[in-house]
Amino acid sequence: MSAIEQNHANSKPVQRTAIFIVLAATGFFLPKLLGGTSVAYSTLTTIAIFAVMCYGIDIVLSYLGEVSLGHTLFWAIGGYTAANLSVKYGLNGWSTAFATVALCIVAAGFLGAVTLRTREFVFSLVTYAAAVVGYEIAFNWDAIGGSDGIVGISALKLPFGVATFSGATQEDLWPVALTLLLLTLVFIARFRRSKLGTAALMVQMNPALAASLGIDPRKVRLAVFVLSAPITGLAGWLYAYQRAYVGPDMFETYFLVLMLTAVVLIGRRILIGPLIGTAILIAQQNLLSLGGDWNKIVLGSVLALVLIFWPAGLVGLFRNFGNVGLKAKE
Amino acid sequence: MNIAQQIVNGLVLGSGYACVALSWTILLGVARLVNFAHGQLYMLGAFVTWYAMTKAGLPYPLAILAAIIALGLLGALMQTAMMRLVMTQNLTSLMIVTLGFGYVLQGGSALIFGGNPQTLPGTLARAKVDLGSLWFTWQDVLVFAATLLLYGAVWLFTQRTRYGSVIRAVAEDPKLAELFGINAKLVYLFVFVFECAAVALGAALVAPRSPILTSMGFNEVIMTFVVVVLGGIGSITGALVAGLGLGLFIAFFGAFVAQAYTTAAAFALLLILLVIRPAGLAAK
Repeated sequence: MSAIEQNHANSKPVQRTAIFIVLAATGFFLPKLLGGTSVAYSTLTTIAIFAVMCYGIDIVLSYLGEVSLGHTLFWAIGGYTAANLSVKYGLNGWSTAFATVALCIVAAGFLGAVTLRTREFVFSLVTYAAAVVGYEIAFNWDAIGGSDGIVGISALKLPFGVATFSGATQEDLWPVALTLLLLTLVFIARFRRSKLGTAALMVQMNPALAASLGIDPRKVRLAVFVLSAPITGLAGWLYAYQRAYVGPDMFETYFLVLMLTAVVLIGRRILIGPLIGTAILIAQQNLLSLGGDWNKIVLGSVLALVLIFWPAGLVGLFRNFGNVGLKAKE
Repeated sequence: MNIAQQIVNGLVLGSGYACVALSWTILLGVARLVNFAHGQLYMLGAFVTWYAMTKAGLPYPLAILAAIIALGLLGALMQTAMMRLVMTQNLTSLMIVTLGFGYVLQGGSALIFGGNPQTLPGTLARAKVDLGSLWFTWQDVLVFAATLLLYGAVWLFTQRTRYGSVIRAVAEDPKLAELFGINAKLVYLFVFVFECAAVALGAALVAPRSPILTSMGFNEVIMTFVVVVLGGIGSITGALVAGLGLGLFIAFFGAFVAQAYTTAAAFALLLILLVIRPAGLAAK
């Protein structure tokens, strides 16, 4: 299926770029279209940030077919890096973003290398354990915030030569969140067509073929995992500026369950799937909230039930209704 | 610092780890299934025991029985829902689905039992045994004895009875096992119900030692992971040795290095082992 999409996309680069620009422009004015209130801005900014967070786990789950339960670690690395470097050393947004990417690559490279020779569920188990340990360290180590976290993170500052962008309010942060989201989408689209992306899919769908082509599934896993970490990390980086606070709650299972649900809800291997999934889930929690504990039950149930009853997500469900012939390709 | 006391503490801790990890070892080793709701099941087992004792006024042994029955039923429900994924051995989806179930259990438990920390009432956990400079509680003795007994019983059942080989045959190839007249679905159901019931028993025995919280499942489960991997993924004797060994390591690390970072130390141990022996200590 991806091969067909690939040819289709490559044949019309101009059209694709045009659509992208229209979407980006519409996105920029979307909060205005929704009334321009600060609630509209903050909700959309949150959706954009959380969607980027989900895209990190998406490339591991959708294209590699493995389950990382440790992406909250990268999410927290982003938040803690932004908070610590900007509050203690007064560094600007570029420096904290760069440090986030570097630290995420180091952490993911370490975890991936350690689990390189183990079976797939050991990888999930170790990533899960890494997040628990990350929580313990963040909670106990006072130098990086301790149990109270870090409050009063100053506004995001991104100097461009002479001018400096300053994101003090939710309205100011929206263009940054949108840009980050669009860059992530471009990155994922490129990844899907890259050598690594196709190798990952092949390892997942047809391991025998991958092996015969000399592809080492373990190295592919390591590469994809390392690539995925900075995406979720940068989302955490922006989240710290949006909330002006980071604390051990960034390790909450909520974020992990949200990431996985957003990816499987619409359907794996769909470019804008995680974005729509995130939007639906955040809309439920913000607009139709049933209270914290009920929201947990809803989110967990959606995750479990989708995989049990509609493994191909909502898209698969519509396809089944609409066109039986497409079923064979799933 | 008293070395002998730390050895006692280590064995006490370790038998608790081994007791809670037994069910995961069986699930993984015998049926090759995973359950990432394990931590939340442990939490629920502890809370059902607490509820049965404080609200329903049951004595401790009956409360344990109530927890075992409640979680056994829950296990049957979960397994029935996941049956198709289990029969197709879809481990990736199973991991995520059980994680989702765990999150539902956490939210549901917070609704039913409230968000406050609770302590299981009990005289055993407060009854000290003093041996000069050494001390432990009768609850510790109970956990230690029950753990050894459980491991012995499970080992005999899986290695020395026909049922054990039936379960292993299903784990090897469920479709083939069905051709030989084995009802694979029933076997999986049995193993999963046993897993949940065993977690309930472990929780009812171990939880009286410390306060319980509905959000504790996420963190509690890490020691089980370490025990299972250290023990050689599915080896029953390996898990017992690994549990006791991990308990000793944690006791000494907590006493001499840092109490706050014991989980991190256990994780470091796990990572070192994965690099040196990816298949676990027990593997040849």
